[in-house]
Amino acid sequence: MAEPVLSVEKLVKHFPGQTRGETVHAVNDVTFSLFPGETLGLVGESGSGKTTIGRCAIRLLEPTGGTIRFRGRDITHLPESQCRPLRGKIQIIFQDPYRALNPRMRVGRLISEMLMLHTALDAKGRRERSLELAERVRLNADLLSRFPNQLSGGQLQRVCIARAIASNPELIILDEPTSSLDLSVRASILELLQELQASTGAAMLFISHDLETVSFVSDRILVLYLGSIVESGPSKRVFEQPAHPYTQSLLSAHLPTDPEQPLQRHLLEGEVPGPINLPPGCPFEPRCPVAISECGLAMPEARLLNGEEHTAACIRIDDGSNTLPLQR
Amino acid sequence: MSLLEVENLHTHFISRTLNDELRVAKGLNGVTFSLENGEIMGLVGETGAGKSLTAMSIMGLLSPPARIVDGSARFDGIELTNMKREELDQLRGNEITMIVQSPVSSLDPLKRIGRQLVRIQQVHQDISKAEAHQRAVEMLRTVGIPNPALRTRAWPHELSGGMAQRVLIAMALINSPRLVIADEPTTGLDVTVQAQILDLFLDLVRERGLSAIIITHDLGIVAHYCSKMAVMFAGRVVEQGPVRTVFKDARHPYTRALINSTPSRVARYGHVRSAGGAPPNLYDLPKGCHYRDRCEFSADICATIPPEVHLDSAHLASCHFSLNVPWAAEG
Amino acid sequence: MSSETLAQPLGGRIQWLRRPRGIARRSPTFAAGLIIILVYGFVALFAPVLTPFDAINAFPYHVLESPNGRFLLGTDGNGMDVLSRVMYGTRYAFGIAIPAVILMVAIGVPLGLIAGYKGGILDEVLLRILDVMRSFPAIILALAVVAATGQTLVNVVVVLGLVEAPIFARVVRAEVLALRSGGYVEAAVAAGNPVRRLLFVHIMPNAISGATAQIPLRMAWAVRASATLAFLGVGIQAPAPEWGAMIRQGAEFLISGQWWVALFPGVALVGIVLGFNLVGDGLHDLLDPKSKTASK
Repeated sequence: MAEPVLSVEKLVKHFPGQTRGETVHAVNDVTFSLFPGETLGLVGESGSGKTTIGRCAIRLLEPTGGTIRFRGRDITHLPESQCRPLRGKIQIIFQDPYRALNPRMRVGRLISEMLMLHTALDAKGRRERSLELAERVRLNADLLSRFPNQLSGGQLQRVCIARAIASNPELIILDEPTSSLDLSVRASILELLQELQASTGAAMLFISHDLETVSFVSDRILVLYLGSIVESGPSKRVFEQPAHPYTQSLLSAHLPTDPEQPLQRHLLEGEVPGPINLPPGCPFEPRCPVAISECGLAMPEARLLNGEEHTAACIRIDDGSNTLPLQR
Repeated sequence: MSLLEVENLHTHFISRTLNDELRVAKGLNGVTFSLENGEIMGLVGETGAGKSLTAMSIMGLLSPPARIVDGSARFDGIELTNMKREELDQLRGNEITMIVQSPVSSLDPLKRIGRQLVRIQQVHQDISKAEAHQRAVEMLRTVGIPNPALRTRAWPHELSGGMAQRVLIAMALINSPRLVIADEPTTGLDVTVQAQILDLFLDLVRERGLSAIIITHDLGIVAHYCSKMAVMFAGRVVEQGPVRTVFKDARHPYTRALINSTPSRVARYGHVRSAGGAPPNLYDLPKGCHYRDRCEFSADICATIPPEVHLDSAHLASCHFSLNVPWAAEG
Repeated sequence: MSSETLAQPLGGRIQWLRRPRGIARRSPTFAAGLIIILVYGFVALFAPVLTPFDAINAFPYHVLESPNGRFLLGTDGNGMDVLSRVMYGTRYAFGIAIPAVILMVAIGVPLGLIAGYKGGILDEVLLRILDVMRSFPAIILALAVVAATGQTLVNVVVVLGLVEAPIFARVVRAEVLALRSGGYVEAAVAAGNPVRRLLFVHIMPNAISGATAQIPLRMAWAVRASATLAFLGVGIQAPAPEWGAMIRQGAEFLISGQWWVALFPGVALVGIVLGFNLVGDGLHDLLDPKSKTASK
């Protein structure tokens, strides 16, 4: 087994809350590893902690507890000055390309900035490589002289992708890269990402709230709820045989784009609570249709399901009553 | 006579640059569709296609530099585009209501929600404050807000996203409108909450026999909550018809590309050249069919405006090749 | 009415006037203010040529003459031509306002940048200093300092520059803070930009737009402030043709009916302050990023 590119152990991240004395428990005891050439999907809704995990991995945030290792090296509490050299190896693509780019810089310069920061190329070399990168992300070379607000969302996200691969990173974090794009361009961006991963061999951490998108691009999936992993496994399996009640309801809430396909819904009560006052037991217990009193006592352990690295943290799996009843 | 008839609507943005040149962005270029009583229509398209602009034009909510330059929109036979402000005010919030994407812009942050619900009733009906308050509580209960009597005293900022959206639905329905326009009503909400809101909306609309237009870019919503759909591109409706028909037998290249560009379909059918590409420049649209620069089947004839082809009484498409589509039918 | 019929620009034949006309159309306020300032500037530049007399040329036999054919705006208590003095006064106005504002920017902007970016103790200290300074009326502060350090032109400029620098620091700090929270600054950090580059390439160019809008407004303030100081007897004094000093002298004569000595410098003062304020307001219209045709 190759060495993992990213290895996260018992990660904890807390933020001070809005009012004094309150703590936002964004991430609670998360452990996973990511291997070269692999895409790991992090799925969850608001408050799940997926974005926070991504930001910790690239050290835009400093963890409150736990360890993060990049290629075996402990980067958990590295000072900013030492994080900087890492940035060539770990890159991130944000959700909204318009907010991720300096509006006063031309797009071509934004790409060559990455080359300037992380390669030894001279001006001429940077210009040539920028053109190569633009072609690689299927961006028209004419657009390089434009400003960000003159490009469409899809084109701008390609710019961000070009920036991200410019330094040949080993790990790319993708934070909802297609969520703010029109549906018509999403598929092509996702395809581009898959292609690039195949050719660069980089590992990808794909963060999204859309289970369908994530399962399309990921090899493995982690399902998050209120800062904890509730289910993990190969994406096809989790998508087809969700074990945890939350995963089941999440999947069922997704609307297939086929009117002939009947809706099979597990409707939940209420909304996702804020991660401030977490109950001691399973975080999903208050909303779970099959919860019993034991669920609220302690955090459930992850259980192995039929081998194949598919795990889910729910005590109802033990007696087989984790399947949600269908409605509608 | 249909409840809402939009015919050949043209809305332009007319402004001047710093170089004192006239610039015209053609937001809507001949939008035509109709809505019957009890129909729920999904209006889809990418950013800039003109979906919200259509709603704003119908409701008379355009502000300079946008203006309707041609066409008509008739509600119950009455022309809306040249209506005086006072007459429009009687219709809006009353017979035609709108739910917008961000509750922040619809709810007055300085008034409790109960008061806003009462006020909107009093503006349009002869009703006492007490009775209006009673109805407000009932409405909040109907939209699934727990403790409705207590909640009337809540401030908008105290509401979560899902709750705020429910309040907006309450505000839109409390005066028993006949047409509700919902502009991206669930964008930004968690998926599990989205399901609740949409189900609620659908139930209420059906129960009260209302008509609705749901503006969205999510084809899933259209597939399961709408009976009719209209696809827009560059200010025109390129295809419209019953949802099942359009999904199964799309007759415009853009519709087809849109439907086929969801990840699951790409996985099933392999890569289909996507509907994506540079968005049309509203200041400089191509002559004839606006989609031709992105269309894989573009031909010489596309330099002329495509006709509106009636494939059957309800299914229309605007493409020169709609009758004999140049692609193989898919299962 | 189709959009084509609206497409007739006014006087479209005069090509080279297009841009100014476009600007004037977008913001008449800006255009009006700019014209006023340009007129004052023109006078300041060409004063020796434009004025009928020298500013301190005294005509002892024509003391306190009301406006007439020879002295268009009358003469003052020393027999000097009011018109010439008012016109030369523009040199003092610009000569004080411009260096003072340059000083304000040179001090305030870097402070604001660093405080906004670094945060922490530096920011807290700066904020407290700004609070203290804001609690004093600026004019009183300037008064005290100039009276203490000496009534020279340089001192007036330096004091005015220091006293109002906090405004620029505050404005820039606010913009830097806004930029820091999620946005391209975060992305720039993630891209691996060193702090130096972050500040100067990414943050500063976008943070100074607020400061730029303040410049004409501070110019207006500086002119008013120096006139106020002179009026109160601090700073520039007679016989220098500074408007404040002139009004000070002319105030004595108001009671005895010689209104022209104080009025015309007063009007000139109001005019230039108005001009700067209009430019400041109009600048906001022009730079509004929400407008589709705003200049970059």
